[in-house]
Amino acid sequence: MKPVNFIALVLFICGVIWVLTLSERSVRRIQQTYYATMTPFLKGGSSIKSQARNFLEEIEHSKDLENQLRAIEEEYIKLRSIEGRLRELETENAELRRALDFKAKSRLNVIAARVIKRQPATWWETAIIDKGQSDSIGAGVPVIAPGGLAGKVDIASEDTCSMILLTDERCQVSVQVAGTPEVGILHGTRGRYGEEPRLILRHLSREAAILPGMKVITTGKGGLFPSNLLIGTVKEYTPGPVEGVALVQPSVNFDELGVVFIIAQKNEPEG
Amino acid sequence: MGWYHLSLLFLVITACIFQQFTPTFQSLCDAGILLVPLVFLCSSVTVGTGPMLLLAFTAGFFWDAQHVITPLPAALLGNPEVYEYTEGDVKFGYSIILYALMGFFMQGLQPLFREGKWHVSALLAGIAVFLYLSVEYLCVTFVRGDLIITHSLFLKISFTALLTMLLCPVVFWALYRLAALFHHTISYEGLARERGTTY
Repeated sequence: MKPVNFIALVLFICGVIWVLTLSERSVRRIQQTYYATMTPFLKGGSSIKSQARNFLEEIEHSKDLENQLRAIEEEYIKLRSIEGRLRELETENAELRRALDFKAKSRLNVIAARVIKRQPATWWETAIIDKGQSDSIGAGVPVIAPGGLAGKVDIASEDTCSMILLTDERCQVSVQVAGTPEVGILHGTRGRYGEEPRLILRHLSREAAILPGMKVITTGKGGLFPSNLLIGTVKEYTPGPVEGVALVQPSVNFDELGVVFIIAQKNEPEG
Repeated sequence: MGWYHLSLLFLVITACIFQQFTPTFQSLCDAGILLVPLVFLCSSVTVGTGPMLLLAFTAGFFWDAQHVITPLPAALLGNPEVYEYTEGDVKFGYSIILYALMGFFMQGLQPLFREGKWHVSALLAGIAVFLYLSVEYLCVTFVRGDLIITHSLFLKISFTALLTMLLCPVVFWALYRLAALFHHTISYEGLARERGTTY
């Protein structure tokens, strides 16, 4: 080996040792700086992507527009008659709600954010969202999406956040099978690419009365996630010698994760 | 270290930026084009060991800065009585080692590249990406536990390697242009003298 190459190798090894021995705090600071630097490009990339998608959709729509218009005209006539009936039902519903003195048990104070990048090319199920520390968002904050819990914030830079999706193994949630006393820890699965995501629910009783289709919700225990957030439905339950394991289908459509809501603060239950 | 080497560093950083714009193909098991490994692999075959290691360090560092999930501070891990099984993850910086190994792998057939047989190196880059992703997945598996190998996993790795490999000629062309611009000699010194190669 040439002396120059040997020196280069020694310097490289020293550099690797330095990086591998960095504290977690330093690493998080490095990652925050990285995301802060990349923010303009991430936002630019997201903007280009949405413009391209809109353009393609526009072309597609113009072809179908005429056919759709005819169908819509027919639908419109039908809907007019349905609308009258719905108005009656709406009034009736409002009256019943008042009668039952319906109140929301708890309200969540949320901040809406847009997913500007998914990173499915790697093994980590993460996404970048367009809100960050400037919106008072920090690490570990829960993120919800239409359907239920979507994940939690990992790294928060000034204007963007990296979030770990519920489908990643690293995102663990304390959950309960609704309607049963069964509680366990739920996390994502590895090795499902281009397929429907599945979640694994562990630490259930050996022979729990869990049936497919049962809803899975957060318990609120452990201090990470608020209670009663929908996670998904049980797909399959397997009793085991020590504990039962259930496969859960998430209620959030992770393939179309466009807008998410970051839980900024949980208000105390009313009444 | 010359201007050519600096331009490669710049190219790696540019690849990190352009990686943000690259799509993934859901129909191909979420496969995508890995620009940073691609630029690194193609560059590593055009330089010596020292610059290759510098490129490996830079590319691996940025790659991990974007992808590795660092454990949250203890205060944000939740009640340990509930979340007692929090698993670790691969350490920040492990990609630097993987990149260096890939670089050495690519340099193994450097003489052929310097003879002008860039297509052999392009094929090797595809194999290197396949190996890199396989090792990376095994590292994640080793740390997290539960060896899960599925058909879609194999397809994802294969398609990603293939898509990345298909862009090799473009990167090699860019590298030849940069070499010409900065008067850097890519071709094997001995062969260059014999055959009068000008790159």
